[in-house]
Amino acid sequence: MKVSLNWIKDFTDVDMQPTELMERISSQLGAIESIEYLGDKYKGSLIVKVVECIKHDRADKLSVCKIDDGGNLKDVARDENGFIQVVCGAPNVKADMLAVWIPPKAIVPASYDKEQFVLESRELRGKISHGMLASPKELAFSDSHEGLLEVDFKVEPGTTFIQAYKLDDYIIELENKMFTHRPDCFGILGIAREISGIENRVFKSPEWYKEILDIPLPKENKYTIAVDNKIQELVPRFISVIIGDVQIKRSPTLIQSFLSRVGIRPINNIVDATNYMMALTGQPLHAYDYDKVKSLSNNESSPVLEVRLANEDEKLTLLNEKEIKLNKSDIVIATDKQVIGLAGVMGGLNTEVDETTKNIILECATFDMYTIRKTAMEHGIFSDAVTRFTKGQSPRQNMAITIRAIKLIKDISHSHQYSQIVDNSKIVKENSVISITPEFVNKRLGTNLSIKDMARILSNVEIIVNELDRELRVSEPFWRTDIEIKEDLVEEIGRLNGYYKLPQELPLRKINPTQKNLNFGLNASIRESLSGAGANEILSSTFIHVHLFEKVNQNTQFAIEIANALSPDLQYYRLSLTPSLLDIVNLNIRANQGIIEDNEFAIYEIGKSHNLVDLDDDRLPVEHRSIAFIFAADNKTAKRKYQGAPYYFAKNYLSYLIDRNHLEVKIVPLRDVLNNINNHTRIHQLISAYDPDRSAAVLSLVDNEFMGVVGEFKNSVKKAFKLPNYCSGFEVDMRLFKEDVATSNYIPLPKFPKINQDICLKVDNSIKYITLFDAIKLQIEENKPKDTYFSLNLVDIFQKDEDLDHKQITLRLIINSYNKTLTTDRINELLSVVTESVQNSLGVERI
Amino acid sequence: MNYKFPQIQEVASRLTDPEIIKHQGKTILRSPELGKLFAHLKEMDSKDRAEFGQEINQLKTELLNMIDNQEDELTVLDPIDVTAPVDINVSSEKHPKLLSSSNGSRHPLMTEMDNILDIFYRMGFSSLESRQIDDDFHMFESLNFPKGHPARDDYDTFMTTEGLIAPAHTSTMQNRVLIEGKKLLDSNLPIATVLPGRVFRNEDVDARHGHTFYQIEGIYVDKGINTGNLISTFKTFLEEYYKQDMEIILQPFYFPFTEPSFEFVLSCPFCQKQGCNVCSYSGWIELGGCGMIHPKVLKMAGIESDIYTGFAWGFGVDRLVMMKHGIEDIRHFMAGKLEFLRQFS
Repeated sequence: MKVSLNWIKDFTDVDMQPTELMERISSQLGAIESIEYLGDKYKGSLIVKVVECIKHDRADKLSVCKIDDGGNLKDVARDENGFIQVVCGAPNVKADMLAVWIPPKAIVPASYDKEQFVLESRELRGKISHGMLASPKELAFSDSHEGLLEVDFKVEPGTTFIQAYKLDDYIIELENKMFTHRPDCFGILGIAREISGIENRVFKSPEWYKEILDIPLPKENKYTIAVDNKIQELVPRFISVIIGDVQIKRSPTLIQSFLSRVGIRPINNIVDATNYMMALTGQPLHAYDYDKVKSLSNNESSPVLEVRLANEDEKLTLLNEKEIKLNKSDIVIATDKQVIGLAGVMGGLNTEVDETTKNIILECATFDMYTIRKTAMEHGIFSDAVTRFTKGQSPRQNMAITIRAIKLIKDISHSHQYSQIVDNSKIVKENSVISITPEFVNKRLGTNLSIKDMARILSNVEIIVNELDRELRVSEPFWRTDIEIKEDLVEEIGRLNGYYKLPQELPLRKINPTQKNLNFGLNASIRESLSGAGANEILSSTFIHVHLFEKVNQNTQFAIEIANALSPDLQYYRLSLTPSLLDIVNLNIRANQGIIEDNEFAIYEIGKSHNLVDLDDDRLPVEHRSIAFIFAADNKTAKRKYQGAPYYFAKNYLSYLIDRNHLEVKIVPLRDVLNNINNHTRIHQLISAYDPDRSAAVLSLVDNEFMGVVGEFKNSVKKAFKLPNYCSGFEVDMRLFKEDVATSNYIPLPKFPKINQDICLKVDNSIKYITLFDAIKLQIEENKPKDTYFSLNLVDIFQKDEDLDHKQITLRLIINSYNKTLTTDRINELLSVVTESVQNSLGVERI
Repeated sequence: MNYKFPQIQEVASRLTDPEIIKHQGKTILRSPELGKLFAHLKEMDSKDRAEFGQEINQLKTELLNMIDNQEDELTVLDPIDVTAPVDINVSSEKHPKLLSSSNGSRHPLMTEMDNILDIFYRMGFSSLESRQIDDDFHMFESLNFPKGHPARDDYDTFMTTEGLIAPAHTSTMQNRVLIEGKKLLDSNLPIATVLPGRVFRNEDVDARHGHTFYQIEGIYVDKGINTGNLISTFKTFLEEYYKQDMEIILQPFYFPFTEPSFEFVLSCPFCQKQGCNVCSYSGWIELGGCGMIHPKVLKMAGIESDIYTGFAWGFGVDRLVMMKHGIEDIRHFMAGKLEFLRQFS
């Protein structure tokens, strides 16, 4: 919201220099979005009197004028009388008028913020024109460009334009959000009051605002107006009055000037008057053309204004010429047969005040902020009135504002009050009264203010304070609606006193250690492991496009849908993380294709997924935390560096995590568990991208719970994401990772040399590697010499072309003793025993 | 699929045989039968020509799909022994290995989050991750936003079709933390918790505005906590984070869940208030919102607001990281480009 500092100065003195003032406004009222000093823009322009005006002999539309600038400007050619010649094309230029002259070398104000246009003396069809006489548009005053700005008050020629129109002004744009609960601060008066409080000065509201001595009576009871307010609970106050014999014209230029400054476009004197009062007090007003209202009524002699909710199927064309279909929750103003306004939002075009208007109905009402908000949202209309009405204006100021508005309208449109002021009012909410002690305030601010300090701070801004023995009784002034609880007064006192003055102390507490968050710690350690192993952490969106589900065959019916997403890219909560990772594989492969030699990468994300099925005790979707990983290499790189199924690459990374974190899991073929998980929505969606014949399920060793999947992707998935052939991944539940509870796998170091021995076993293809490995390991464990420890690792797996039914697995045993040097013979003996024992059970043959 | 024109139907029934497709592959699209159909098309009445042409194209699409599907089936790879560490017949130098650690990177947002959390741990705060989907009660009502209140408009929230909300601020966790923290208050310990997490705003995206960003909320409740404590706590954090003395301004603001409410403005740590491109040459940076927890919010969690007072704050992490590294576009964070990610260790 924009305010003019000079307008504010009509109501309070301001001592501080602008820089200091702006700093104090930011820290004691609210953030400033921008500050504009108008003076620079208008430098040079002068008020002049046109002393002579004759038609240009060589151009129909031009006049040649002599102007009197009071002799103020130097360096300009003058005639023998000291006047200056200006050629002017405006239709309204005439002798004896006061106009605004932009002299040579001055900048046309309207061009100030754009490409600056500097005037000069130049010839127009043979006549020299020194500078120009200006229109309101050229003066960035309003958008009127039909003629010159006619100065409509008495001022000496030669006075600067800045001085005449108080343009040595700062326009301060304040952030609206600060005033969500401060409707009074949407008016100059409210801001002036706050600035006065900031300067520690007593503010005095103008008399017309504070004291209603008499309700003015009509000049004659020429018309009557009746109001039928059917929804008093939503419209606590509705004041209306008829003002007649108005002359519609432009408002006085000073009013136009101040309206323009605060961002309101001048229209005509009646509309400007209502807007002027709104800019001043924050209370929107509306004027209807009374004769149009009559003609839209059944009873033309005494129309009734209905205040009600709209009916279904009612329509209204608004002042912006857009027709809207009204909703049943919209408050409307209507005659007995026609809607004439969308209350609190915008008037109807059918009762617009225009140049033909003779009589008006002036309305000053209070509408329920929630209803106005709903209406504004549903129709997408955010007018100045909506901005203010959604803050909850106090209905108690309406009468004072109405009376002042009547006076203003009478003054600037030569009109008369032709009806009683009809005040339909049922104000339910009392102004609040709060008792507060200085201790309460000081305890919350950390200050040491006295009861007197507090009383002064509050009374400066006209909050009514009764100083009792040890407490203050504080009454909300009639224009405020936000003071409800003691803390509201703490805010008021703290703010006006200045938060920058508060003593700054850290809170004191016992030194009990706080609990670290286990999950964050695990995340950090996994990140360290994976990034240390050359993988790159990514973050991707929680929300995804429906296409991602389709590409991995996930079922949208289980996905939580966003109802109001701006983009289809953000329409669903993801069901698992893997699709988001698959989605960026191709772009990263392409980015380095043919540029770097090893075009391969491992990416991972630790994140959450949600579905409609798994709900917690609060009926909220469970937040499944998981880690997803993908490895991909372009075909050239893969061919050069790797051999065999890409599955083993992802598995290698998973094993790395399993080992480092001592995870208790087992890896089983995915196909073997498909039947067990068919009914489990989340798992089903999680594995949908993986090829069941070339992927494994990760099961918890303790209870066989499904914890994740590692493997290669289905052909359809590879195709949909344009994945390279050498690509695999995993996604496992983060619940697998547990706090590392001091269990250590440390093995004391033996003093004797270790010995190693390979063992090559031929087994049937159908025997799983892990079956053989576990069996051998168990046998070694049972038969090894005393006081030894060993490790068993794979060397390789081979298959002969001529015998595809078998494979040969070579394992390496490394064994060590704590009390003697082991002999090769002893180890061979051990291996023979081991082989023999598995020979029978697994049909193994040692080679 | 059924075709209207008998000529096409006849060709279709012959060619869409899986055996033929398996045998011929893509060459089937150049088969003489299809060629004859095209030849026929040229001789047709103009009346039917368009439709006939369409049907030929439909047939071609059908064949292409069948070829694709068959290729899928043909390329189905044999099952592997998933329990083994390596594949069969792979020499040891071609076994899968971990990539070189010089390729690795952590996401800069997560690294920064850890840095920030570390400072708050040292200051005695515990932490809890914020939710990514929540209900109206936690996101609004428990924070003193009545239904239909215009203050809700300041948050462009994503709503689900079930009426749940993608939280627009980490304050969505406040009520839970306060309820949980009552035990601490009862044993004369403060509630001191930070709540990092993803938050969402349903607004147009540009270089400075993402629909998703990371926020970190802080809550401190105890007996006798005042506004001066709030300023000091946050100032202490920032000075530790930037390793320098900072100036701090509280600008009055409005949030329904704090009273008084502020926006936190700090002197630019990159130019010592001289003005630089990080602070848009103003010397100051707006960091986030804060305030004294509204008594209604405390009461809603069953905490006696006459006895206990507290403060809360929330600020965005993305912005801090962008300022720290000079990152020009917030969209890089979630774009998953290695070129970006690998610049961070």
